[in-house]
Amino acid sequence: MAQVPPIPIGPAGVPGAVPDQLSVETTVQQERDLAQPGGAKADEFGGAPELGFWRLAVIRFLHHRVATGALIILGIIVLSAIVVPIITGDLYRIQDYRHPFKPPFQSFQHLLGTDDLGRDELARLLRGARVSIMVGVLAVVGYLLIGGTLGALAGYYGGWLDNALMRFTDIIISAPFLLVVIAVTAATGGVRLSTVIIVIAATGWYEIGRLMRAQFLVLREQEFVQAARALGASNARIIVRHILPNALAPIIVSATLGVSGIILLEAALGFLGYSIPPPEPSWGNMLQQFEQYLLDDQAYLVVFPATALLITALCINLIGDGIRDALDPRQR
Amino acid sequence: MTFYLIRRVAIGIFLLFLMSAMFFTLTRVTPGAPISVGENPRIHQATITLRLHRLGLVDEQGNPYSIPQQYVQYLGALIHGDLGDSYINNERVTTLLMQRLPNSILLLGAALLVALAIGIPLGIFAATRQYSKLDVTTSIVSYVGVSIPSFVLGIYLLLIFGVILKQSPLHWGFPLFGMHTGGVDDPLDLLYHMVLPVTSLAILQIAIFSRFMRASMLEVLHQDYIRTARAKGLSLEKVNYKHALRNAILPIITLVAIAIPQIVNGAIITEGIFSWPGTGQLAFQAVVDRDYPVILGVVMLVAAGTVLFNLIADVTYAIADPRIRY
Repeated sequence: MAQVPPIPIGPAGVPGAVPDQLSVETTVQQERDLAQPGGAKADEFGGAPELGFWRLAVIRFLHHRVATGALIILGIIVLSAIVVPIITGDLYRIQDYRHPFKPPFQSFQHLLGTDDLGRDELARLLRGARVSIMVGVLAVVGYLLIGGTLGALAGYYGGWLDNALMRFTDIIISAPFLLVVIAVTAATGGVRLSTVIIVIAATGWYEIGRLMRAQFLVLREQEFVQAARALGASNARIIVRHILPNALAPIIVSATLGVSGIILLEAALGFLGYSIPPPEPSWGNMLQQFEQYLLDDQAYLVVFPATALLITALCINLIGDGIRDALDPRQR
Repeated sequence: MTFYLIRRVAIGIFLLFLMSAMFFTLTRVTPGAPISVGENPRIHQATITLRLHRLGLVDEQGNPYSIPQQYVQYLGALIHGDLGDSYINNERVTTLLMQRLPNSILLLGAALLVALAIGIPLGIFAATRQYSKLDVTTSIVSYVGVSIPSFVLGIYLLLIFGVILKQSPLHWGFPLFGMHTGGVDDPLDLLYHMVLPVTSLAILQIAIFSRFMRASMLEVLHQDYIRTARAKGLSLEKVNYKHALRNAILPIITLVAIAIPQIVNGAIITEGIFSWPGTGQLAFQAVVDRDYPVILGVVMLVAAGTVLFNLIADVTYAIADPRIRY
């Protein structure tokens, strides 16, 4: 054993596995690491240095073949969504009236064909990928900020904040979420991308909030927290330095799965005309625009965004499950 | 138990009250008046005032009500079972909802039953044969099921069964955007129209149920009393399907209650795509038309349903599992 290869970090990066979080060390985790074969024992052989919890998690994740594959595919999608529109520029909205409905896989100029206005389908798909991924990532950051903070405070202090959090969750859960988002979007006036992101973040954070609360409820009673308190640590220090690192694992998994949920939600909103308006493409509004062509030979205009949506969501879900297995090796 | 029930109902009503206040405010602060023909000189001012008055927006003299005033009026009407008038259809929201509700219950009920009938056995078999081919297939299907929104699946299904197969010798020819007109008098035609929407709604729930059932079953199978039962010499079938299943299946009750708002969520677009004349399609159209009283009505209806089903789930749970005491 003991031979541990250097850990490459995927292009998209594994959330939570970034190197700057390697400093997270508590006695509890060191003990947990010691229990891992191939981990800390390396020192006896004078070999590689002791591995931290997150480093081990990355290794376990990379051993998960399906999840690694999904990470690579998602990395390619994200990378091309970022890079290709920069190179092609305005291609996604250049109209070519001489060649509308050009079938896919016929020429290199328009690899995936063109739509009703002769716009390049591939460029629009990638442009739409940007919208989807941006909404997904930013809204999840919103979830983490709002849900994470409120959940942590509610779990740690309890009291009225706790009650308010639970009641808010009850309200949101019992309403059809799609209609909630639509009503709030409409009320805040105008459908802009920033509005959509803020509305999704402001209404959807409850799941992470509840999870964080549950984690804090359990962890605040643990002995290491009592020890920290006995040593004179302030509440803020206990929350940030002692409890938070231990509460992170399920939050990271939930946040990852949250991204795919938001991407699907954004597509549904786009389909209903409540996301970014045309001519700016998003997968949702592409589906809406071309649903009418399903009967004709132009069905590819529907199939491409639908498939892009499916592949992206599937990859993110697989990665999320890979992270879950990597962070919690006992669960099997 | 009685005290618990009273408390739960009170909390439920309080929640609905809060929700109605939230959504009412949201729909009223939304820019855009329902009647923006005020500038049209050919329409008499009195007519507009009368119309706005009927919608509960102004008093007889045409002075606008404030939002709290409007809300009190709305609540007063709500207690009498009146959800106000649609902006678009010149029809009461309750009338619209009641017309559509049976259709939706039929569709969503069928989707839920199909999901339960397929998802639960799949989960059980996957758990008892862990890592077998069936198990792996089930996980793959459930991954795809979770990752595909019902409206995208609906589009795929329409494409495959409505377009591609229609031109092939198989010729299933499922109705494409076609409305079912026969009513319940023609069950076969009804069933024929239900297959695709039910499938696209059920897949997500099949995925969730089978995943959950598998995890729940596995957890129970690793408990001591199962080993004891096996050690006593009981057959594997008897232990799996009698001793383990009874405990593993209990949490499904809660899951069904959670599934209801999810299915409704899916139905909003799915019913629109398949032209199924249900509440989902009503909401779909209302969203497109920005017909807020109708949206509010659907939200309240679904919320009331969810609160009710959560209550039923908890009570059922207490009856089914004697370990639970309220």
